[in-house]
Amino acid sequence: MSGICRSRLAEERKQWRKDHPFGFYARPEKKSDGTLDLMNWQVGIPGKPSTPWEGGVYKLVLIFPEDYPSKPPKCKFVPPLFHPNVYPSGTVCLSILNEEEGWKPAITIKQILLGIQDLLNDPNPESPAQSEAYVMFKKDKVSYEKRVRQQAKENTA
Amino acid sequence: MHNAMGTAFTRSSDYDDFDSQEEGSDLEYEQTEDIGFSDMITEKQRRKAYQVDFSVLPLSDIVSAQASASSHVAGILGMTQDQAAALLRNFKWNKERLVERYMDHAQEILDKAGVVLDDVHTPQVKRPRGFVCMICFDDSSAGPAFGLRCGHVFCQPCYEHYLRQKIVEEGECRRILCPETGCNVVVDEPTIKKVVPAAVMSKYRQLQDRVYVSDLDNLVWCPAPNCEYAIECRLSHSSFTTIVPTVTCDCGHKFCFNCTLDDHQPAPCGLVKMWKKKCADDSETANWISAHTKECSKCQSTIEKNGGCNHMTCRKCKYEFCWVCMGPWSEHGTSWYNCNRFEESSSADARDQQAKSRASLERYLHYYNRYANHEHSAKLDRDLYTKTEKKMEEMQRTSDLSWIEVQFLKRAVDVLTSCRMTLRWTYAFAFYLARNNMTELFEDNQRDLEVAVEALSELLEKPIEREKIAELRQQVLDKTVYVESRREVVLEDTAKGLVDGRWEFFVDFNK
Repeated sequence: MSGICRSRLAEERKQWRKDHPFGFYARPEKKSDGTLDLMNWQVGIPGKPSTPWEGGVYKLVLIFPEDYPSKPPKCKFVPPLFHPNVYPSGTVCLSILNEEEGWKPAITIKQILLGIQDLLNDPNPESPAQSEAYVMFKKDKVSYEKRVRQQAKENTA
Repeated sequence: MHNAMGTAFTRSSDYDDFDSQEEGSDLEYEQTEDIGFSDMITEKQRRKAYQVDFSVLPLSDIVSAQASASSHVAGILGMTQDQAAALLRNFKWNKERLVERYMDHAQEILDKAGVVLDDVHTPQVKRPRGFVCMICFDDSSAGPAFGLRCGHVFCQPCYEHYLRQKIVEEGECRRILCPETGCNVVVDEPTIKKVVPAAVMSKYRQLQDRVYVSDLDNLVWCPAPNCEYAIECRLSHSSFTTIVPTVTCDCGHKFCFNCTLDDHQPAPCGLVKMWKKKCADDSETANWISAHTKECSKCQSTIEKNGGCNHMTCRKCKYEFCWVCMGPWSEHGTSWYNCNRFEESSSADARDQQAKSRASLERYLHYYNRYANHEHSAKLDRDLYTKTEKKMEEMQRTSDLSWIEVQFLKRAVDVLTSCRMTLRWTYAFAFYLARNNMTELFEDNQRDLEVAVEALSELLEKPIEREKIAELRQQVLDKTVYVESRREVVLEDTAKGLVDGRWEFFVDFNK
C-alpha cells in the first residue's frame, strides 16, 4: 500500500468536493509555492443544532502520516478546545483515531469529522484528556454548559 | 550456575516419558488434581520441601499440544482442526467449557472467533461491477479482491497491507476485524492464509503460540533473552502464597515460575514485591550510596570493598574489621559471629517517637545493607573467579594438572553465587518477620549459611601456589559441599515453615 497515501488523499479531496455534510469544511493547506499540501488539512466542524455547541465552527488541523491509511491522521484543535476529551495541546482523544483501538483503513475524512462532531456534545468521561473541562463536566454541569456556549460565541464562522 | 545446582532439582524422568507418550496432551491439565494421587505421594517423598515439579517444553511441544487439543475438539464438534483451534483460542483452551457452551450458542461462538463452517463461502471474490476499493479508492477491474461474509470487499494489496500491519506491527492474532468502518466481523484464518505471504503467516502462527502459553495458567515462557523454552508447572496459583516455585530452564536460567523474576527463594512472591517496592522508594537515600564505601572505624579513611570477602584490612592503619558490622574481625570467630542479627532497640526508646522512626529506618537499613551486600559480593566473587581462572589455565599448561582437576573453582563460585542470592533474600524475608523464637531459629540457620559462605569466599581469595594446590582443592571442595548443605537447610526450613504457616510476619503481603 506504500505510496497510496497521496492518491487516497487526492481521492478524498475529490469526494469531499463532490459532497460533504452541511456546515463543514475541509481543504488541504497551501504550500508556499502555491501547490496543495495533501498531508496537512484545515478543517472546520460545526456544533450540532440545539446543543450548547451550536453556532460555533471549531477549527482543526489533520496531519496525515506517510503510512496513511494504515495509520490514522492526527487531529488537533487550533486553538486547543475546552472539551473533556481534548488534550491541552488540542489533540483529540477518540477511539476511531487510535490505531490500536478503533482505527480502520476504510474510515474516511468525512467519517472522522462526523465522529468528532458527535464527540463535542457527547464526551466520553472514561478517557479524560484535560483536567479543566473534565472536572467541570463532572462536578458543575451548569458552569460547564455556560463555558461551552461562551466558546461557541468565540468561534463563529 | 545451573550445573552446580542441577542435582538439587527433581526433573523426574517419569514426566518426560509421560509427555512423549501422550504427545503433550497432558498440557491441558488445569490443576494439580488432575495428576494421579498416588503419583503425588511418591513425588512428595522424593522431593525437597522447597522444590517444585516442573517440566521444560520446547516449542515443538507447544505446537503439538495445541494440535492434539484442537484435533480432539474437532472430532467432537465435527469441524476441521484449524476451526477448532480458532474456537479454543477464544476459550483460553478450556475444552470442556467450549464444548458445553457450543451446544447452546454455536453460531454466536463461531462468529466471535471468526469461523465460517460451510465451505460455500470463499474469501476471494471477483471485483463486482463498479467496484471501488474503499481504502485506496482504486476502481480498476484487474487483480483479486477479498471480502468476508459481511460483503465488504477490498483489493488484495490493501487487504494484505492491513493484515500485515495488524500482525507484524501490532502483534494482533486473536481478533482482527474487517477493515470496514464499524464492522465487527472477524477475519478468519483461511482468509488470512490466502491474503498474506508465508513470512507474515509464520509470524501469525508464532503469535498464536505466544498467546497459547500466556493463556494457560500452568505454562510460562522462560524470560531469558532468546530462550524459546516454556516451563510447565501444575501447581495452582493460590498455592504460591506459601510455595516459592523456583524452576530451572534447560537454557540454565533459574527463575520464579509465578512472577518470572530471578530466583528469590526463600522469600515468597508477595514479600519480594513488597520489598522491591520498599527498596525502590527508600534506596535513593544517601544511606544507600554510602553502603558502597565505608570509613575505617579506626583511622576514618574511606574504603571501597574490592573483593568478595567481608574480612577487611585497612591499607593505611592495618586495622582488621568486618565489612558488614564494622566491628573488629577478632570478634568474628565462628562463635562470635553475630552480625546477621539486628539488635532490637530497647523498650525505653520506644516511648520517644522520633527515636522510634529512626530505629525503624535503621532496622530497614540493617536488612537492606546485608541484602545489597550479598548481591555486590556475588559480583565480586565472579570477578575474582575470572581472574583466578586465568591463573588456573596457566597452571594447567605449566604443571601436570588436568583440566578436570582445576574445575573445582568454577563449581565453588557457582555455589557461592547461588548461596549469596539465597542469603540476599533471607534478609528481605527476615525484615518482615515478627520477633519470636521461630525467627531466632531462622536467623541461626541464616548465620550458619553466612559464616560458611564467607569462609568459602575467603578461601577463594587466597593466593594459589602450585605446591599447595591439592590441599587448596580439598579445602574448597569440602567447604563447597558444606555451604551447599547449609543452603539446603535454610531453604528446606523456610519452605516447610511457609506451608505450615509457622512464620509470623508483621505485614500481610498476600493481599
